[in-house]
Amino acid sequence: MKISIERKDKIIIGSILITFFISWIFAARSLPPTEEAFSSLGHRWVVTIGKVTINPSTVIMGTVVFLIIVWFATSVRKELRLIPGRKQALAEWLLDSFYQMVEDTVPDERFVKPTFVVATSLFLYIWVSNMLGSVPGISFVGFEDGTLKEISLFTDTWQPPTADLNTNLTYALMVFVISHAFAIKAKGFKAWLKSWFEPNPIMFPMNLIGELAKPLSHSLRLFGNIAGGGILVFIFSYLVKYFLVPVFLWGFFGIFVGTIQALVFAILAIAYISAQLT
Amino acid sequence: MDKMDMAKAIYLAGKAIGAGLAMGIGAIGPGIGEGNIGAHAMDAMARQPEMMGAITTRMLLADAVAESTGIYSLLIAFLIIFAL
Repeated sequence: MKISIERKDKIIIGSILITFFISWIFAARSLPPTEEAFSSLGHRWVVTIGKVTINPSTVIMGTVVFLIIVWFATSVRKELRLIPGRKQALAEWLLDSFYQMVEDTVPDERFVKPTFVVATSLFLYIWVSNMLGSVPGISFVGFEDGTLKEISLFTDTWQPPTADLNTNLTYALMVFVISHAFAIKAKGFKAWLKSWFEPNPIMFPMNLIGELAKPLSHSLRLFGNIAGGGILVFIFSYLVKYFLVPVFLWGFFGIFVGTIQALVFAILAIAYISAQLT
Repeated sequence: MDKMDMAKAIYLAGKAIGAGLAMGIGAIGPGIGEGNIGAHAMDAMARQPEMMGAITTRMLLADAVAESTGIYSLLIAFLIIFAL
C-alpha cells in the first residue's frame, strides 16, 4: 500500500511536530525535582459548585468526544450512496461486524437490536476517547486538594474521559441495569426473581456478590488500563527527560491498548446481557 | 535518631514494601494465564496456519481479559505509593 501525502498536509504535520518538540525542550529545561514532579501524579483538578463536585477535564473532553462522533456520523450520512465511499465503507464494516457478533451471541431475537445499539455506542465512545490518550495536547494538573496547579501544554496527552473512574463506572452500571431490565422483560418478574435463588436458596449470597462484582471489574479493567498507562508514561517520560520515548509509549498505550480495551468493554457488555437472557 | 524521623522511615518502608509485594505477587497470575493463552494459540496456529489472523485477534482479546488482575494490582501499587 502506498500512501501519498500532499504538500499542504506535509506542512501542517511538520509544524505540529515542531511545536511538540519545542514544548518538550522547554518542559525538559524546567523539569522540577523528582518529589515535586511526582507529588501531583494521579491528582486531578476538580471544581466544587454548591454540593456538586465536577471534574472539568472529563466534562470538556467528553463533550469533545461526542462532537467528534456526531461530526463523523453526519458526514457519513450526508454522502450516503449505494456504492460506498471511504467513510461509509468504514462505518458499514464496523456496524456490520458488530451486528454479526451480537446476532451470534444473544439468544433472544427481540433483544438483538437493543443490545447492538448499546454495545456499539459504548465501543465508539470508549474507542474515540482512548484515541485522545495517544495525541499530545493540553491537560490539567491538580494539587492533592483538587485546586489547579498548572496547565501542561503538549507535554502530556489530552486527558481521555475513560481515565476517570466516574465515566467507566457509569457505563458499567448502565450495562448492569440494562441486562437485568432485559432479563425481567424476557423471562418475566417471577422467573427473574427465582434466578437469584438457583440452584438452591443457600447460594443467594454467592449470586448477589457475583452479580455486583460484574460492574466493578468491568469498569476497573478499563480505568486501570488507561489511567495506569498514562501514569506509567508520565514516569518514563520524566526519567528520559521527554526525549523522544514518550511518543512511542503514547502510541502503544493509546492506540494498541486503547483499541483492545474498547473492544473488550463492548464484548463483555454483550456477554453480560446475553448471560442474563438465557 | 529523632522519634519522628524513625516513624517516617517506617512509614516509607511500609509503603515501598507494600507496593512491591502488591505488584510482584499480582503479576504472577496474569503471567501464568497469558503464557497459557499464548501457548495454546501457538498450538492452534501450528495446526491450522490458515486461521492465523482470527486466532491472533482472539488471543489478544483473551490476553486483555487475563491481565486485568495484574492491572488491578498496578492500580493498588500506585494508590499505595502516591495517594496513601
